[in-house]
Amino acid sequence: MAVEEKDRDPHTGYLTTGHEWNGIKELNTPVPRVIYFFLSLAVLFGIGYWILMPAWPTGRSYTKGLLGFDQRLFVTEDVKQAALDRATWTDRIEKESFADIQKDPQLMHDVRETGKALFGDNCAACHGRHATGGKGFPNLTTNSWLWGGSPEQIAETIKVGINSAHPESHTSQMPAFGHDGILQRNDIEKVVAYVRSLSGAGDASADDVKAGQKIFADNCSSCHGDDAKGNSETGAPNLTDRFWIYGGDPQTVYTTVWGGRQGHMPTWEARLSSVQRKILALYVADLRIPDHE
Amino acid sequence: MIGQLTKFERQTAMLILLALSGVGLAMAIAGRDDPFGVHGVLVLLYALAGIIFVISGFFDPEPGDDRFDRYNDDPTKAGIVLAMIWAAFALFVGDWVAWLLVNPNLTFDAAWSSFGRIRPVHTTGIIFGFGGNALIATSFYVMQRTSRARLPDQLSPLFVIFGYNLFCLLAVTGYFMGVTQSREYAEPEWYADIWLVVVWVVYFLVYLRTLARRKEPHIYVANWYFLAFILVVAMLHIVNNLAVPTSLARVKSYSLFSGVQDAMTEWWYGHNAVAFFLTAGFLGMMYYFLPKRAGRPIYSYRMSIISFWGITFFYMWAGSHHLHYTALPQWVQTLGMTFSLMLLIPSWVSAGNALMTLNGAWDKVRDDATLRFMMVAAVFYGLSTFEGSFMAIRPVNALSHYTDWTVGHVHAGALGWVAMITFGSFYALVPWIWKRDGMYSWKLVEVHFWLALAGTVIYVFAMWNSGIVQGLMWRTYNDSGTLAYSFVDSLVAMRPYYIARAVGGLSFLIGALVGCYNIWMTIRTSSHAAGEFMGDLPDPVLARTPALQAGE
Amino acid sequence: MFGFHYRLERKAIGLVVGIILVASIGGIVEIAPLFTIHQTVEDAPDMRVYTPLEIAGRNIYMREGCYACHSQMIRTLRDEVERYGPYSLAVESKYDHPMLWGSKRTGPDLARVGGKYSDEWQVAHLVDPRSVVPESIMPAYDWLSRNRLKTDNLGEDLKALRTVGVPYSEDMIANASSDAHGQAAPDSKEAESVVTRYGKETSVRPFDGKPEELTEMDALVAYLQILGRLTDAAKKPVATAER
Ligand code: HEC
Ligand code: HEC
Ligand code: HEC
Ligand code: HEM
Ligand code: HEM
Ligand SMILES: [Ca+2]
Ligand SMILES: [Ca+2]
Ligand SMILES: [Cu+2]
Repeated sequence: MAVEEKDRDPHTGYLTTGHEWNGIKELNTPVPRVIYFFLSLAVLFGIGYWILMPAWPTGRSYTKGLLGFDQRLFVTEDVKQAALDRATWTDRIEKESFADIQKDPQLMHDVRETGKALFGDNCAACHGRHATGGKGFPNLTTNSWLWGGSPEQIAETIKVGINSAHPESHTSQMPAFGHDGILQRNDIEKVVAYVRSLSGAGDASADDVKAGQKIFADNCSSCHGDDAKGNSETGAPNLTDRFWIYGGDPQTVYTTVWGGRQGHMPTWEARLSSVQRKILALYVADLRIPDHE
Repeated sequence: MIGQLTKFERQTAMLILLALSGVGLAMAIAGRDDPFGVHGVLVLLYALAGIIFVISGFFDPEPGDDRFDRYNDDPTKAGIVLAMIWAAFALFVGDWVAWLLVNPNLTFDAAWSSFGRIRPVHTTGIIFGFGGNALIATSFYVMQRTSRARLPDQLSPLFVIFGYNLFCLLAVTGYFMGVTQSREYAEPEWYADIWLVVVWVVYFLVYLRTLARRKEPHIYVANWYFLAFILVVAMLHIVNNLAVPTSLARVKSYSLFSGVQDAMTEWWYGHNAVAFFLTAGFLGMMYYFLPKRAGRPIYSYRMSIISFWGITFFYMWAGSHHLHYTALPQWVQTLGMTFSLMLLIPSWVSAGNALMTLNGAWDKVRDDATLRFMMVAAVFYGLSTFEGSFMAIRPVNALSHYTDWTVGHVHAGALGWVAMITFGSFYALVPWIWKRDGMYSWKLVEVHFWLALAGTVIYVFAMWNSGIVQGLMWRTYNDSGTLAYSFVDSLVAMRPYYIARAVGGLSFLIGALVGCYNIWMTIRTSSHAAGEFMGDLPDPVLARTPALQAGE
Repeated sequence: MFGFHYRLERKAIGLVVGIILVASIGGIVEIAPLFTIHQTVEDAPDMRVYTPLEIAGRNIYMREGCYACHSQMIRTLRDEVERYGPYSLAVESKYDHPMLWGSKRTGPDLARVGGKYSDEWQVAHLVDPRSVVPESIMPAYDWLSRNRLKTDNLGEDLKALRTVGVPYSEDMIANASSDAHGQAAPDSKEAESVVTRYGKETSVRPFDGKPEELTEMDALVAYLQILGRLTDAAKKPVATAER
């Protein structure tokens, strides 16, 4: 065994332990008191916390702690309390009519403030952050509605959804005229020309448009109406405005008529409370941009 | 390398490699229509490359007994080179991952390059590829010096290094193909897990056998840490990876535990992978290279004892701080939080011990970028452990969990502590072990230091900001008492920070590439000073017959 | 203490044993009781198992690393409950081998995303997230709708899951592949038995809009649509481990 030579470090004045490993030595510096102090402090805090909170397992159960704290009860209370705090205005939302709320600037302020994040977290995925929609998902800032644009009707749509799993869901379907062999290819081309002309497209021949009009009257007006302005009973869209759910270029409109369409909007009855849905309906109705026909 | 093996060892190596290629072949055939088959081919190729390598030196003259007069540094050299290769690769992927959050189209429409697949490539590549190779390499080096004993044989350390890299390779190539158990930091599938157990047992035995032959009566602190690293990682790895494979010809397995028990096991593992891989192992590294480079004795032997056992005991309780407010019963969260707070004391004792060791050598810290790497590492170690204990407090975690704050904390530890201590140690070690005067260019060491420091600071500040902004936006209420921001609002707010982070990461990556070049040039340039003092005491006095320590 | 250590550190075996002892305690105290304390996992008689198609989808979720960005764990905090719905219960991931609670929310929590959006939206979003959410930084997964789902081995998966404790019957294991096909093709002859085997709550739909072919997209969307819907336990008033 090596002889242990303890020497004194000139810089700190402490003795070494007498060991050396390939030139590395260690000082035998005593542990500074403050370390014991902080260690005790941390342990004492731990013990205190264990006494107050659920902490140690005891086989089939665990110590519950003097405070009787349970994170699940706590959050349930917290959410409940928050709802109570909001009740000052949410109660009014719940009880008052849409028209009355819309006349109250303070309530509408709350609606806009709340609606923004609520819409952002639930609806924006489909309808976009600014509710302007996207391919397959309607723009909600326009004046043309599938199922009616009054706040009451919007609230109903949000509640039951469209073609959703809700038992009272709005249901609508555009038949697949081409796929199911109801119309021939060139008939579809003609009706497409006609439909597009309704919103001002001037790129088709007048003959086609004229022929298309006839086909439309025979096949389409039952749902979309004689004037093609849509029908909020069947959920058929207005085809005369410049807004399209799926797109207004010839190819897309052709695809629509060939293959039919059936959009799905989920029901929000189970996911959002009635107040939240009412807020959203008001929020959506409020987004309408006046010059959007 | 092969020249240093005896005839018998060469034959054994051939046998092992042949067996391995047999396994690879079997896997390849059995798993033909599964990624399992691809991995079989990989194992086969790896083994064949090994066979060619062994054959290339098979008929070289056998080494003389004079090899016992020197330490065996071949495995360490291999480990250093491999660690730097993994660093370059995994940091590049890390920065790519960072840019993906700025521009998600940087996947170039390929499946293998999407965020979810290459994020684990980054984490595994850097932790296991870079970190693991660095730890194995330095532990072999340190163990021999501090025991004054040679590695017990020539072959098993090489088996550890190359076996371990096969594991890393299986892991990383697997993620590209979507092979993952999705257990954070333990993603590799069952067969890779089993292989790691084999490698690890050999590693442990190498360690014990060397210690048993040591000529120093006392085991040095660095080795306590390396031992804890090896032992606890084995424990964690085995328990956390318990799983039932669907078939012996498929990669897919299902973990033994589910739900809440699985979550606790995973984070007991995950947290202690941090503790014993990214902390204990690197503390072992620091305990050798820092005093050695500074030329100072360790400040306090007694503080070493307190911090070592404190860390070993407290860390193992802290895993549940990753599961605050979740469906994990609250009593476990309480234990995780309180022990995390206690853990701060031994952590700071280690950091303090390191920094106090530098007392009397601050002039060297100023002049020597290598030592400065180690000093900064100790500071970041202190910083990230403080931050960690703070984040373990339940209400703080309510804010920080799920956000980029965690990522900031991770990289304060990972860039600031793990990578810095490794680079510092490598810059000290490379000239010693390859017997050079010094690094090829000390200026480039300096450049690397500043790039790394700047990168780390930018990264960490960006993530602290984004994390806290994110956490606050998620819980901000407006005057009406309802949530003020949607999730996507917070996403939009992250963008500038993500750009900053990616730029910081780029700086860190460039630094590491400079380091690779410098190390490579150091190795390539011819020796100036062979035979002089090269990190070892003038006469290592390696006796040819190993002297067993009393009581072993 | 230091004297004791002075002797201990001279024996490698002493250190080894010491480390193993000291390092084992924490894990044992924290993990073992999770198996013995009954309240740890709530009772939920209505708890269902994943169908083979949903299991396949879950495996794709893991393969693509969705868990790297999405959590599936709503914490007991007011803002999370108000944003994502009732906090997650332990029982909800009782059959999750492994759990996918996640640790990072680069994207939103998905614990209750099942039923929140339509199948069409899920498909559109996975094929190109920015086509529906322009601000999104989520990767595109368009190959999912091109890749045919491999179902031959699903029986093995169910069997392995049964070994680790998920109550799949022999019947379910034997018909795993055909059930996977049936669930995504409502008019097929395999469709009917899916509901008999897995309960009438099971969704049988052409998830990717193409009933004629079974793709990985079908599986992933089927999985996303079941998230949070294996049991209704979380919707009950305060679901707490106690009381
Ligand atoms: C999964 C996608 C999706 C989500 C989420 C969604 N919607 Fe819709 N929504 C649709 C689709 C698709 C339609 C049109 C259905 C159709 O084409 O028949 C629609 C239609 C509507 C309509 C009817 C428009 C009209 O012209 O009558 C309203 C109002 C509406 N959504 C509001 C909302 C609100 C409010 C939310 C959030 C609570 C929401 N939507 C969430 C897809 C979605
Ligand atoms: C059974 C009722 C019905 C009939 C008949 C019908 N439609 Fe429709 N149509 C709908 C419904 C409902 C929608 C909305 C589909 C959705 O979004 O869910 C629609 C949508 C459309 C759209 C898409 C509008 C957009 O904004 O993208 C076009 C174009 C259209 N119909 C044209 C026609 C033409 C042309 C015909 C006759 C050949 C026709 N429809 C016959 C019900 C009908
Ligand atoms: C790079 C991170 C990232 C990855 C990987 C990722 N996502 Fe996302 N995910 C997001 C972000 C960000 C959002 C929010 C923006 C959006 O809706 O696209 C999101 C949104 C979602 C949503 C809508 C959630 C909601 O409630 O609005 C679903 C569902 C989803 N992701 C599923 C997946 C699936 C399935 C995968 C894997 C195949 C995946 N994600 C991979 C980042 C990611
Ligand atoms: C060039 C430098 C680096 C860059 C740019 C980088 C980038 C990243 C990115 C973008 C992520 C994903 C974060 C997220 O999901 O939001 C990540 C995760 C991670 N990185 Fe790095 N990284 C770098 C270096 C390192 C190093 C050196 C280490 C370890 C030694 C490391 C360890 C990790 C770990 C452990 C995670 C997972 C964090 C978690 O799950 O919370 N990284 N890194
Ligand atoms: C006293 C020491 C430490 C404590 C108490 C601690 C605590 C924590 C906490 C509370 C989290 C966040 C968990 C969450 O909310 O999800 C965390 C995450 C993490 N920490 Fe630490 N930390 C410590 C030291 C370190 C060090 C030195 C590193 C070195 C790299 C490190 C690496 C990590 C990693 C990688 C994660 C991310 C885990 C994940 O979610 O993927 N920690 N730590
Ligand atoms: Ca694994
Ligand atoms: Ca299909
Ligand atoms: Cu941790």
